[in-house]
Amino acid sequence: MTTYAIPLLDRLPTPIAVVSESGAIEYRNKVFEEIFGSDAKSWLKDGARAVAGERGWLQGFFLAGDDGHTNDVEIEGRVYRIDKIMSIEGYDTPAVALSFDDVTRQREAEQAKSDFTSMIVHDLRGPLSGIQGTLEFVLSQEGTKLDSLYSDLLTEAQRESERMMNLINELLDFSKIESGNFVVEPEPVRVAGVLKRAVRSLQSVAARDEIFLLSAHGRDIPQIIGSVEKLTQAIINLISNSLKFTPKKGLISVAAQIVRTDNMPETIVITVTDSGMGIKAEDVEQIWSKYKQTKNKSLRGGGGTGLGLYIVKQIVEAHGGEVTVASIEGVGTSIVLKLPVKRAA
Amino acid sequence: MSSVANPIVRPQWALLVGDSLKQYGPWHTHAKLIEARNAYPDDLAIRGYLEIIRNMIVRELLSHPKGLQAVPKLSAEFLTNFDRFNLNAQEGYLISLIDGRMDLQKLQILSPFDPFNTMFIIAKLVNERAITIPQ
Repeated sequence: MTTYAIPLLDRLPTPIAVVSESGAIEYRNKVFEEIFGSDAKSWLKDGARAVAGERGWLQGFFLAGDDGHTNDVEIEGRVYRIDKIMSIEGYDTPAVALSFDDVTRQREAEQAKSDFTSMIVHDLRGPLSGIQGTLEFVLSQEGTKLDSLYSDLLTEAQRESERMMNLINELLDFSKIESGNFVVEPEPVRVAGVLKRAVRSLQSVAARDEIFLLSAHGRDIPQIIGSVEKLTQAIINLISNSLKFTPKKGLISVAAQIVRTDNMPETIVITVTDSGMGIKAEDVEQIWSKYKQTKNKSLRGGGGTGLGLYIVKQIVEAHGGEVTVASIEGVGTSIVLKLPVKRAA
Repeated sequence: MSSVANPIVRPQWALLVGDSLKQYGPWHTHAKLIEARNAYPDDLAIRGYLEIIRNMIVRELLSHPKGLQAVPKLSAEFLTNFDRFNLNAQEGYLISLIDGRMDLQKLQILSPFDPFNTMFIIAKLVNERAITIPQ
């Protein structure tokens, strides 16, 4: 550490330390010393150790480049967001300069917000399921002659309750993602089955809106390891999104194919393609952001939470995959999901 | 000084595909996208554009006034000069089902291929004038 840097670092309000690969502290600024003391830190030594084949959190900072690396670590009952400032040369062993930001209160606030959202959403789902069930029962009574006006009104109520349920489900997933509780329970997944299930669940909605909904998948699609429920939900989200943007007599196709190339490991590519209005080139990358919604007023069924595509991206990334969008204004849009093939044993 | 890797320069597919569609129509664009997919096998976006064009082709077929109730028939040209048509196995199988009475919906049910590909093959047969779909 250059001598002129030390007074500067000592004046900073953030704890900063230069730590070696073994977890030894080569330098600490005054704030670090005030908060953590001046003796060697066992939690740094623990972070330097690999446990059960998993590398320690401190090792991650040495493997990362100098363009930054962040990790939230629990230290002595508080949560610190540790940022890599830079690699430091001149010591006997490699060292990194780290800053420690106490985010305990922020994390508690996030958790409280997430728990509250989750509770509200659960409380809303119960009565809404009851309303949906009642509407479905009344509309399915073939012997009952409903006045066409009442029948139309009940159908409209059913459509709106479906929409509300979708919004609630999106909020529930979002709160899980934000609280870190969004985990993929690995199981063998038949991708063709996932597509069929998703298409079947929205076929009646598509028919009601006079939209063709067709699936396409080769016979050689292998089983993968992932979550049937989450992947089905991702495809349902994409089809639902397409349904909003596709005009009457339009077409939505859901396809899966296996891709084998020299430069890419075996991959399943799923596409959900619509003949909607397309997306402007400058808006294409923004569609994955939270709360991002189109400004189009002719959207069928009104807008949503703007979380649908964000959730899809989280699901695909949780499976080790990636998402891409292709769109031509006035022609249509295709959302491409790439999932690595981790074969079921 | 950190070194910055040269980014791979990808063509602007949206622009190229849009222009090709306007100038040459969907079938030519479809053929060009197949070539592009072979040239850039790892580029996922191309697969998306290919699906948009396939979707457009099938939608055109389904935009027939009778929709899935439209009945395809073998063309006179196919009946008199079928050697000219270089059909692959899938196309050959589907054309063998066309009897002038069965509508698109029934063909979709009877076809061993998935619904979308069945419609795409029929659209291709229409484009190659092996079959016609009278109004």
